[in-house]
Amino acid sequence: MASVANGLYGESEIRKFRRMTVIWGATVLLLLPILALLGYFMRWVQAGAFTQLRPEWFYAVLTLHSLGMVGTWFVGSMAGVSYLLLRYTRPSLAVSRLSYWGTLVGVLLLIVCTLGGLFGTGWYFLYPLPLMSQHVWQPWATFTFFLALAILGVCWTIWTLDILRAIARHYSLSAALGWNYILGREGPEVPPLVLITTVSLIVGVAGFVAAVLVIALFAARALGVNVDPLLMKNLTFFFGHVLVNITMYLGVATVYELLPSYAGRPWKINRVVALAWGAVLFLILFAYFHHLYMDFAQPAWIQKFGQICSYGLAVPAGVVSIFGTLALVYAARMRWTLASTLLFLGIMGWGVGGIAAVIDSTVEVNFHFHNTLWVPAHFHTYYLMGVVLIILGLIDHVGKEISGLEERAARSKLTVALLLIGGYGFLSMFYWAGAHSVPRRYAIYPLEVSQGTLYARIAVGFITVLLLGILLYLWETGKRCLKALAA
Amino acid sequence: MRRGLGSVCLALCLSTPFYGQPSFGIRSNEAPNEDRYVYKALPDIVIQTVATADARLSTVWRDKPVLLTMIFTRCAGVCSPFLRSLKRAAADAEGLGRDYRIVVLSFDPQDSAADMDRMAQSLGLKSDPAWIFGVASPGDIRRLAAAVGFWFYWDPSVGQYDHPSLLIAVDRGRVLRMLAGAEVPSASLREVAQELRGKFVSSYALAGKVAFRCFEYDPDRGRYNLDWGVLLMLLPATCALLSVAWAFSPISRRAGPP
Repeated sequence: MASVANGLYGESEIRKFRRMTVIWGATVLLLLPILALLGYFMRWVQAGAFTQLRPEWFYAVLTLHSLGMVGTWFVGSMAGVSYLLLRYTRPSLAVSRLSYWGTLVGVLLLIVCTLGGLFGTGWYFLYPLPLMSQHVWQPWATFTFFLALAILGVCWTIWTLDILRAIARHYSLSAALGWNYILGREGPEVPPLVLITTVSLIVGVAGFVAAVLVIALFAARALGVNVDPLLMKNLTFFFGHVLVNITMYLGVATVYELLPSYAGRPWKINRVVALAWGAVLFLILFAYFHHLYMDFAQPAWIQKFGQICSYGLAVPAGVVSIFGTLALVYAARMRWTLASTLLFLGIMGWGVGGIAAVIDSTVEVNFHFHNTLWVPAHFHTYYLMGVVLIILGLIDHVGKEISGLEERAARSKLTVALLLIGGYGFLSMFYWAGAHSVPRRYAIYPLEVSQGTLYARIAVGFITVLLLGILLYLWETGKRCLKALAA
Repeated sequence: MRRGLGSVCLALCLSTPFYGQPSFGIRSNEAPNEDRYVYKALPDIVIQTVATADARLSTVWRDKPVLLTMIFTRCAGVCSPFLRSLKRAAADAEGLGRDYRIVVLSFDPQDSAADMDRMAQSLGLKSDPAWIFGVASPGDIRRLAAAVGFWFYWDPSVGQYDHPSLLIAVDRGRVLRMLAGAEVPSASLREVAQELRGKFVSSYALAGKVAFRCFEYDPDRGRYNLDWGVLLMLLPATCALLSVAWAFSPISRRAGPP
């Protein structure tokens, strides 16, 4: 198993970096069940379990659940990539620590404004909703929310820039982007991890700048300046789409790095892989237009371009990576452990969610699926059954690598079975409801879509199975992480 | 004596409609808030016209969407001008009779179906089958008024009702849109008629009122023009390029540890 030893760090520095990575992993593992329980709570509400509860609670929990999950898996993938990059380059431990504390403060503020202040706009805090609460939440909650976003945004931007800086120490831009492979020229060998991380983080910087602009324009609106809602929606969804996508790409980068060690085969960059990720760098900037199909004020040519880019984005990253994974595993002497199984299933789940996303990114289909439960269905698929499984696999891999504790095969199989049955069962209710026009973001389903209550009840059963899988994973992998922390 | 007392009571009871008019709702200077009522179901009340003794409102909206308004025939104020304005706007908007009908109900218990018929005649609408003038029981009127935020207040000093002018677009028994105001603008009614036909109605902000717009819509040419907000959309990608240039620049790569 390849481990972190690159000669760039001293042994004590490596140990500190490993410890920081385990702290990140433990934090992710702590947040996972809490945030999952919030999702469980929401489906219970939709199932009609808490009839006395004010619907405002549902929307506050929705906001915390969605932002919390997106943030958790972003930092999880960043921490994982930082750790794996130690093989090739030297990210800053101080910046990782700064990001950690900044993330903790940001998360704390998010909890305060949502559970304490009932701030309930959803993750996208679409303009001008945060400023028009109809007295459901107070101005302090809005301020706290934007303060949290600002702190998270600043810390994560610094972290992103630091990793790019670290890559730049050892690779030129053309090398890091794999241009020598594309042009067929001699050049340094570049691991896929470096290529995908470079592409993702360049786009990530653009996403964070968009978030800064959104916060600045909200402040301008609070001071009385009329701001274009279409501009705000474009910037907000650019930021959100980029953040979610790069989280997945960073997760995929870890699979490129780790899965070969289980397959006993190398997974190197070739022209196709370099071209594919080069295309991602361009297409991801425009694919987010599919979030604005219903905005008639956006010119039609932009909507068409958005559909083309959304389709295009699925090919390079999705198809190349999924095909690559299958080719790597096919007829290999694969060592199927909990980590390798989760990494493999994560890539496949990403593919399943990607197909559902491409379906929804078709203008004609979007007319029917927009704002139905199909939308959470597809993003929960590539998150929960995609990047979440990958990062759980990565944490298990790191925990095992550092602690040296081996796994019990039967428990690993049971964990995977519970995660798969619970996860895909829960998602199938989202898909089924979406295909039957049940709207998303409804705390209580009105008579016209009352079938949503039944689907929520079935989903609750599957989530229970999923939570059992998560608990079993936490028990097994948690032990390894605790020992790794003590090491 | 007893007969005399009875006569007085009878006279008082009979005079009640003249001197103690029922009021309903809360007087307000604000128009009813459309957001509160849109998509709400209307009560399926019974109406009477000169042609029909008792008919349910649902028999009208089941057939076609409906524009519904409430007036009273003795109105010395807004009711007649409002209905004339509605007649003009409906002629401009086109589709009346084919796509929708207009129901005018009196909220005054004194009005009879014959009074409403005379009002239709005075407006030149008596023979138009697209217009239905009718009355309903006071209880039904109150239920209908409550469902759309309508109010009426009897002012004994002038012997008139104070009330808003409200036009409610109803599709399959549910409120689709509401227009408030003494006059019905043709442009607004055209939009409502579009919605009643199931067509999407787009709206555009006025030019120059919003900072950093991505596009300005030119209604004369029906085209979009790029505006300054597009530059803000380019800013994230520009900053990303500058960051990459910084990170991968020879100066930055030389600085710091390898």
